[in-house]
Amino acid sequence: MDLLLQRVFDAVTNGSTYALLAVAMVLIFKATTLINFAQGEQAMLGAFVVLQLWDWGIPMWGAVVIGMCFSGILAAFLERTLIRKFDPTDHLPLVIITLGLFLVINAIAAIIWRFDPKSFPELFPSGNAFAINNVRLSWYTIFAFTSCVIVLFVLQTLLTKTKIGLAFRAVSSNIESSRLSGIKIGTTLQFGWALAAAAGTLGASIYAANPVLQIEPSMMLRALILSVTAAALGGLDSLWGALIGGLTIGFVQSVVVQYIPFIPNEMSLSAAVIVLLIVLIFRPSGVLGTRAVERV
Amino acid sequence: MAAKIHIQEGTATYRKYRIAMWTCFIISLLLVAFAYVDVGTISIGSNKYNLSLIRLDKAIAFTIAILGLQVVVGYTGQIALGQSFFFGTGAYLSAWLVADHSWPFLMTLLIVIPSCFLIGMVLGLPALRIRGLYLALLTFGLAAVFPSLVKLDKLYTYTGGAGGKLTSNYKFVAPSWLPFDEVAQGLQKIPFLGGYFGDGPLSDREESRMWKFILFSIIAAICFWLVSNLIQSRPGRAMRAIRDNETSAATSGINLAATKTLSFGVASALGGVGGVVYVAEIGIASPDDFSSLLAIYLIVGLVVGGVGTLSGALIGGLVYALIPDWASSTQSISFLPQRWLQGPTGSLILGLLLIILTLFLPGGVVTGWRRVKKRFFQIDSATS
Repeated sequence: MDLLLQRVFDAVTNGSTYALLAVAMVLIFKATTLINFAQGEQAMLGAFVVLQLWDWGIPMWGAVVIGMCFSGILAAFLERTLIRKFDPTDHLPLVIITLGLFLVINAIAAIIWRFDPKSFPELFPSGNAFAINNVRLSWYTIFAFTSCVIVLFVLQTLLTKTKIGLAFRAVSSNIESSRLSGIKIGTTLQFGWALAAAAGTLGASIYAANPVLQIEPSMMLRALILSVTAAALGGLDSLWGALIGGLTIGFVQSVVVQYIPFIPNEMSLSAAVIVLLIVLIFRPSGVLGTRAVERV
Repeated sequence: MAAKIHIQEGTATYRKYRIAMWTCFIISLLLVAFAYVDVGTISIGSNKYNLSLIRLDKAIAFTIAILGLQVVVGYTGQIALGQSFFFGTGAYLSAWLVADHSWPFLMTLLIVIPSCFLIGMVLGLPALRIRGLYLALLTFGLAAVFPSLVKLDKLYTYTGGAGGKLTSNYKFVAPSWLPFDEVAQGLQKIPFLGGYFGDGPLSDREESRMWKFILFSIIAAICFWLVSNLIQSRPGRAMRAIRDNETSAATSGINLAATKTLSFGVASALGGVGGVVYVAEIGIASPDDFSSLLAIYLIVGLVVGGVGTLSGALIGGLVYALIPDWASSTQSISFLPQRWLQGPTGSLILGLLLIILTLFLPGGVVTGWRRVKKRFFQIDSATS
């Protein structure tokens, strides 16, 4: 029982960070119906910038905010220069561009900061909120989950209560009609990309701040697959779906895989891919997503 | 405008032109093989670039795998990124048969091709429901999973775990009737250029390397021939119809499910063959060679050569086999700081290539080359 509870806490810890990255995926998918394979790498770059700023003596949370702004601006620039000229309904070139970005960002981060893992400063108070017998709920878990929920609330408010949020929702629902009603499509999509990258950077910073993890250029490879699965599971165009998806994937990873005897422990990534397969076959729109209808 | 040479398709001149092109290609291939059979290098400035047959054999392996991607991505238009999965499957199956059951390498193709074909077809089944980006996602996940599958403890006896599976018990021995020595010595007698071809007869290792290169080239040639026949035949036309518009293909009576599954099967079988060639060359199948990065690099090869062009696969294979290696052996360029040359420069270049080509030359190198060629040769189709 103790072990089970501990595993559930682990699931929440991992799930919240996947959810933050999944939110970034969801924002971009909502805006452009594109899955950004470079999202994880953009977030990793942002986290490295945060680390660098902290090294230069900027207080931790200040560094995080500056890092988020940096990667937001970078993402807006990338959207303008690389993504916008392509037809959003033709997926292959866009997938190829994001894969190219994946390689380039990964290589640049490795050239600047090298491959060796570095420890990331702690964003949250260390230690445990409570510990009974062997069950420990660390502050990290509580804060990671809380910040995930806060981010979702902020985004929700931003999208429903502000003018640019309204424009964003209009564009994601129908590009042609929103262009006719005078919305600047380009700027709105750029805003979506910037928002996504900022959320991703926050996610990667929190992910790297996990006391058991270190920051390195390849840290997002696994997290990318897991968070993309989370996003697909929750519904690729649903913000709160990302949280549900993230927690489910965390749960599958640390509870289901541990307790079903014939699944070896190393299979956690494979388990995520199998979940992805099942979701895509039986409910491609995910748990909370809107169903796609194709008109002929 | 320079004088243009017009050649009519189907005439004797056209046939001569084709034969001349192919002879040039094969002769230059053999010349390269003889010139670089020992560890051959090209020097530019103070940097030495490796162009040994080992590199070229790897390029052949990647070429075959990229050829598979051409079938499924280039001609059928399904965004499948998981070629490294089948590359790895082929490599491991072959390594297991060679190391544990002492099969000869080429015999393993008899097992690898049908099993990769079947696995590809089965894994392609979800693709009948999953389209576009979702398929890209799923196949990318598949590629990411492969190393952890191979490292499973339960499979340790078959795959050798994280350490990899050695196949060094099998050696390629060149048959004695092949006149390697005579050709090599003949080439060395050519005035001025003879020095490039080494000196004296070939050693046993060189002969075995040469034999491997020729064998792999023949395998690749057979793959190219089969795929080009497939593309020009009825199923190939069906594939292209699906790529151009799925709905209209279905309304003209094309069996979407069968055609897609076939193209997945063919692509995976080619991936498996590539894997066999790869492991036959390097002698070990190790899990991290077949990670999701390989899947992305194979896509780079596909795009650089040109999506939907068969000869693009060859260029793609060469690019992936040579550029990262050359980038890491570049020790000094005067205008670049040292820091940018150490580390993953190769992957940076490949990523930039991917972006730049997609932006400015979407058809890849082959399309660019065709445009240049059109200035000088005009091949008129038979009907005109």
